[in-house]
Parts: sequence; structure tokens; C-alpha cells
Amino acid sequence: MARTGAARPRVLRRVEPSTVAWLAALAALLFLVAVPVAKVVISSFQDTDTGAFTWNNYAVAYGHVRDYASLGTSLLYAAEVTVASIIIAVPIAWGVARTDMPCKGLVRAFVLGAFITPPYLGAIGWILLAGPNAGWINKVWMAVTGDAHGFVNVYSFGGLVVVTALYAFPYIFVFTADALERVSSEMEEAARILGAGHLRTILRVTLPLVTPAILGGAIVVFLDTVALFGTPAIIALPARIKVMTLVLWQFFEFPVRAEAAAAYAVPLVLITVTLFAAQRAILGRRGYVALTGKGGSRTLLQLGRWRWAIFGYAMLMVALSVLLPYAALAHAAFSRAWGRGFSLANLTLDNFKYLLLTDPAARLTIVHSFGYSAATACLAVALALCVAYIVSRRLVRHTAVLTALCMAPLVIPGIVLAIGFYSAWAPPPLALYGTAALLVFGFTARFLPIAYTNCMASLRSLNPEMEEAVRILGGSQLRAVTRVVVPLLKTSLIGSWLLVFIPATRELSTAIFLVGSNTRVISVMMLDLSENGSFETLAALGFFLLGVTILIVLAGYKLLGRDFMLRRS
Amino acid sequence: MLPSAGAYAQAKGPTGTDDPLYPAAKKEGQLTWYSGILDQPLCVQVGQAFSAKYPGIEVKPIKNSSQVALQRLMQDIKAGSMQADVFTTTDVGHMTFLNSKALLVPYVAPSASGFVPALRAFNGGGLYQVSWVGQVTILYNTTKVKLEDAPKDWPDLTNPKWANAITFGSPNYSGLVGVWTVGMAQRYGWEFFEKLNKLNPLIGRSVDDAGTVLNSGERSVAAGNPASALRSAARGNPLAMIYPSSGTLASPSPTAIMKGSSSPNAAKLFVEFLAGREYSQILSDNFEQPMRADVSPPKGAKSMAEIKTFAPTPEEIEKELGPNKEKWRDTFGG
Repeated sequence: MARTGAARPRVLRRVEPSTVAWLAALAALLFLVAVPVAKVVISSFQDTDTGAFTWNNYAVAYGHVRDYASLGTSLLYAAEVTVASIIIAVPIAWGVARTDMPCKGLVRAFVLGAFITPPYLGAIGWILLAGPNAGWINKVWMAVTGDAHGFVNVYSFGGLVVVTALYAFPYIFVFTADALERVSSEMEEAARILGAGHLRTILRVTLPLVTPAILGGAIVVFLDTVALFGTPAIIALPARIKVMTLVLWQFFEFPVRAEAAAAYAVPLVLITVTLFAAQRAILGRRGYVALTGKGGSRTLLQLGRWRWAIFGYAMLMVALSVLLPYAALAHAAFSRAWGRGFSLANLTLDNFKYLLLTDPAARLTIVHSFGYSAATACLAVALALCVAYIVSRRLVRHTAVLTALCMAPLVIPGIVLAIGFYSAWAPPPLALYGTAALLVFGFTARFLPIAYTNCMASLRSLNPEMEEAVRILGGSQLRAVTRVVVPLLKTSLIGSWLLVFIPATRELSTAIFLVGSNTRVISVMMLDLSENGSFETLAALGFFLLGVTILIVLAGYKLLGRDFMLRRS
Repeated sequence: MLPSAGAYAQAKGPTGTDDPLYPAAKKEGQLTWYSGILDQPLCVQVGQAFSAKYPGIEVKPIKNSSQVALQRLMQDIKAGSMQADVFTTTDVGHMTFLNSKALLVPYVAPSASGFVPALRAFNGGGLYQVSWVGQVTILYNTTKVKLEDAPKDWPDLTNPKWANAITFGSPNYSGLVGVWTVGMAQRYGWEFFEKLNKLNPLIGRSVDDAGTVLNSGERSVAAGNPASALRSAARGNPLAMIYPSSGTLASPSPTAIMKGSSSPNAAKLFVEFLAGREYSQILSDNFEQPMRADVSPPKGAKSMAEIKTFAPTPEEIEKELGPNKEKWRDTFGG
């Protein structure tokens, strides 16, 4: 960080071609994020009918003590989910990245399988498992112990936290695993030579080196949870727990007060900025540069018998988030009528057949979702890398503004952001009504924060001296980025790509506002299926998504092969 | 989502090319329908049936929740570009609101005379017409509850034997549940809900959650939407519905033509189509309540003409829904 200040005068001295690239990135950021976010912030001060300036929306949004209570509940909920996610994710990431744990590809695939599970579906899976009256786990418990009541209740604060964390932890996993893969073993070896044991080495050397990544992932989980609607709607509402998003939804009941919803969201942007300031304070001036030009090597820790222990932990976690809930959902996906219970006569593949063969519209919807999400992921990662590079290498002043801009879309409720987006770009001059571009741009804005956080964490671990070497040898800044930064951060960028791609395939709140008659996506289809009672088809769709994701992930890691730092002796 | 091809073909009438509006409508070539009812595939099916009857006019349906559809409509109006030609919402209050801003084109479709009498009067003085009837009935899980033990009327739901066994939606998240609270409070007073709360009900979000909860076995009786339950039951799920003896809540959803849209003639033809037999037949084929007496109801349901229905008036809903939501929070804490 300290040495990058030198870059600015150089930029000012002569205009490079790269300057054009940065300007383009900034323009894209303005277009995709700043304008819609500004629309949201401005609308929070506008009267619904007249558009005149007013504080009234804030009075409506925060007028009741009850609403403060739900904001508090939301923050507590998000904090607990973050802690639970770290506990789940970090050991698995460490096992996958730094040890000789078996079946890593499979564990990775299941972790991303957890990620692609729509929160709605995961929550229903857990109701089937841990519902107080009819949950499988409780039925087994009652049968074995003879108790009249089950022992787990998904409709509780603890249940809400655990079920949310089981589908949020992959954020932290991807961030942390990427970072761990870039840490060379030299420092660990030094610690070992100086007499530190394995545990001490992990706690005092390995984990501190990846703190920026863990914190980056934690921030994303925290903000994502604050803004989450699906799981609370399924679990918190029946449990009579009031979180903010549930209150927020009520502003969309008639008379619709989108402006009040915007007002509700604005303080959250401030919370985000505070979180980033806190992150900077925690990280301080300590060095986290893990990737230098001097060539590191990474040896996997031989765990011996303990490798089965870490494998067991990883499998237990993916069992809780994927295997068990999907076993419960399988019952619906492969049934003619899921409410009839298990029987051979009730088994069928028709639900899959309907999705993939019978209904051309369903097939098209699936193709749309994957296509739009892939385009979104490419756009978001490219933009995030540019902006993160500008910010981390301090190429312009006021980088805090850029950070705030990049992060704001995560906390602005999807529907509110989508309204800002729609009002900015659907009408002329661009007239993007009903086009795929409207959805892709909207999704890009929505998921830019995730890509940005990940790129920032990666760039932090990269020593600027390699880029400086390119510059000294006469290469342009653009060349430094395309030939040095991108190749070195390859796996991390793929991680970012997946971190955007997967949530984009399940994104609902933005989609419902931006979707057109010919641009339907999976999440909207799921909402339709859940509303018309076709739960069997819905579960089948969930299975299909899980299967496709696992295949993509396995194929991706096969194609990419081992990363370049790993030298097996 | 299982359209039965046979019944559909049977209802497919002759083309409507001799309609006096057709030449002008055909020139417009297309219309956009913002729909707060049905689901997207069904809206598409309705659009295709319309195009079959009126060749050369394409329907672009955009299905959303009614609230989102209205919000989108308002954004379009702010941008000075009316995208929707026809707007359908589950909340009649939206029409009152739009009319107060002079955004509706009054139109009475000729076929509207074929609606069952209970629905014919629902037209806001010629501003809109019914396009869907949201019903709330008693639902139950047939493997857990026998027909003779099942609740027969609304007050039966408060029987202590349904403690930990009952589920329903919330007026704070579902317009139809909101109308149901107005209807119930009018008939039985707010004590009805206080009694329900003593049974530790499982409170879901929408009126359709009941079917999912009943199928999962977590609860056994519900107040919910019979259409999604019948659709699920037709697959073999253990769901059944009971029309409450004192009356089923039947809340009509209005459709209107937007002023300043680009296809005013096609819009009128479409509204006429929504009043006709073909459309009601598509509804019935998909387990929704047909609005005409000349179309038979879906399997397991009765015709609107045969059952006793009731609905609070739009004015009553407007006056009582807000306070009911507040009371709901006080009673159920959610």
C-alpha cells in the first residue's frame, strides 16, 4: 500500500492508453451503479405523488419503535449468520487448499451446490427435516426415544441462523480457499523450523495471512443476510421473528411506498461504509502480501489420519446444507404427488421430463438464466477488477467514494435497486424495456459488490512490485494488468466469476422488476411454481440446478488443472 | 400447469376477424398486458389463444405480483411512456387510485353480460371488469383429517382441536388474505383471530403457502386458495377443499385499459376476449374458477352460480384493511 502512492504522479505526467481504460471503467460504474443508486437516494427524499422534497419517507420508514427493533434483530441475525458461516467455511477451505484431504473436487462441488440452492428451496428442505410436527429428524427422534415432541425446531432464531448460514457460507469458502491457495509455504516452513507446532502455525501464520479474504467474505455474508428475504419469509415469519426485510416488503403492499423502502435502505449504505472502514482499521498497516515475484511454492500439509477428520467435518457440513435437504426434496422431485408419501407407484421422472422436454418455455427460461448469468459474471468481474485495481493502486483520488459505490447495491434491497435501475434505463433514450440487456445490467449492478470485494482481497495479496517491474521494462499499465495481474489471479478471478454467476442464476428480487415477456428467468419461474402449488416441479428444478452446478464445477477444475504454485515433491 | 388440450380445443371458437374493432387493432399489431394474476406460462397461453382468435395481433404478457405491476406502471407513467395497454390487478384499490389520476379508459366489453350475476356488477361503473376470482376456502390434508371431522364453516377453525394443526397466510404479505381478514372481522369480530392465535397457527406469507404446508404434513387444516390446492390434488396430493357453509370469500380481480397506450383498439379486443368463453375455459382447465356459467368448473370445484360467496366492498376494504394489518401485528406479533 505504502509504495503505490508513487503511481499517481506518473499517471498525471503523461496520458497513457490505460488511462482511457480506467475512464471507461469509471463511466461503466457511473452508468450501472451510480445513476440507479442516486435515483434511489434521491427518491428517498421525494414525495410519492408530487416529487417535492420531504423527510416524510424516513418518518414512515423509521416511525415506529417496532421498526427499530426489527433493524436490531436483522443486525443480530446477520452477525450470528456471519460467525456461523466462518465456523463452517474456514476449516473446509483450509482442508481443501492446504492439506491432503481426500475428495477435494467433490467437497468443492457440494459447497457450490449449497451456494446455488435457492434460499427458498433450502428453507423448505429444512422444514421437511426439522419441522416440529412432521420433520424427518424429529420423527426419527420421537420413534427412537418415545418422546411426544421433536428435539429440533426450525421455526426458531437458532434455526433461522443455521439454515441461513448453511447457504451463505460458500461466499467465505470461495474467498478463503482462493487466498489460501496463493499463500506460499515458506512462512509456514519458517514457523515450523522455529519450533511452532501445526496448530500454532495455522493460527499464527496461515490464517492471519488470509484475514483480508476472510473479512471480505464475512462482509459479503453479513450484508447479504441483512438484505435476505427468502429464508426469513419461510422460517422467520412463522416463527414470529421480525427482521427488516419482512418489514420492508410491507411497503410494497398498496398503497405502495417505494420511496419509504428507499429511505429504509439508505442507512444501510452507511452501515456498509462503516463496515469497510472497520475492515481497514482491523487490517491496519500489516502486510498481507502473499504473492511476490520471487516464486513461492506450496506444499500440502500431510495430515495423516487427521485428514479423515477434516474430510469428515467437510462432509458433515455439506450433508447438512445439501445432502439431507435434497434427500427430503428428492421425495418431491421424484414424486407424482409429494404429499402422498413414499411409494413405488408414486415414483416418476415426469417432473424432470416436463422441465427439460415437454415445456419449451421452461427450457428457454433455463437457457436465459444461464446465459444472462454468464454475461453478468463476465461484466461484473471485468468491471470489478478495473475498479479494484484503481482503488488498491490509488490511481485516482477519493477511492472511498468508489468503494461505497461498488458496495451500495448489496445492501439496497434488490427490488428498490431494480426500481432505480428501471427508472434510469428502461425509458428512452436507452429504452431497454423488456430486453435481456436490462436484466444483465441490473444483475451486474446487483452483484458487482461481491466481485469487487473478492478482487480487492486478491489484489491485497499481490505485491505491486511485479507490476512495477513491467513498467520499468517499458510496459504499459494495461500490459501490467493483462499480462501479470490477471494470470497471477486466475483462480481467484474464476472464483469471483462463480461468486457472481451462481447468485445471479437464483436472483429474484431484481429480476421480478426487470423481467420482460421474452426474458423470463429461473427465479421468476420458481416463484410462479411455488405460487401455483407445483412443488414437485419446483423441487425438480432445484435438483436440475444442483446437478448442472456440480458438473460445471467439476469440469472447471478438471480443465484448469492444478494451480501453478503447487509443486509436488 | 397442465393444460388439457382437448377441453381447450373444444372451447376454441371461430376467429373474431369480423369484429368492427379488428381492422384498427390489427394495424396496431400487438398489445402489452401487465398482469397481477395467474402465472407467466398461463398468461402466455391466454395471449396465444387471443392471437389465434384475432390473427396478426400479438400479446406481450408481463406477469408480476400486483404490487410490482402497479409500481412498474407508475414508473412508466413518470417516464412519460405508457408501456401497458391492459392492466390486471388483484387489488381493486389500484383501479380507484388509477382512476383518480384519470389513467383509465372506460370500456364495457359486450361479452361481459355472460358473467355470473355475482360478478357482473363488479365493474366500477364501466371502468373495469373481472378477470380472476381469488377465493379463500377451508383446505385440509385428507390423510390427517377425515371429511366428517373437517371444519365445515369458518368458526369451526377456532375449535381447540386444531391447536398446532392450523395454517394461514398474513394480510401483511398477501392482498387476498387481507381481504379475508376484512370479511372475517366483519362477520365474527376480531375475536375470531384472537381465538385462532390461541391455537398456535403457522402463519405463512401468501395465500398459496397453505398447500405446501399441508402437503409437508406439518399442519392439517388451513384457510387458503382452492385453485393451487385443487391443482396439487389433481396430481394425487392429499388435499381437499370445503366451501364454508356460510359462504366462500370470493374477491374479484379487475382488468382495465390504460389511457395513452399505443394499442387502444387491440386493448379493447383483449378485454372483450377476457370476458369470453375461451378465456374462462382456459381458467377452468388450469383449476382456476371460471367466471361464466356456460363454462364448467374444474374437477373438485363448483360453479360460482352454485356456491354461496361473499366479498367486502372495495370501500370497506379500503377503510378496514389498514387497521386490520395493525391489529394483526398486535395479535400475532408478525
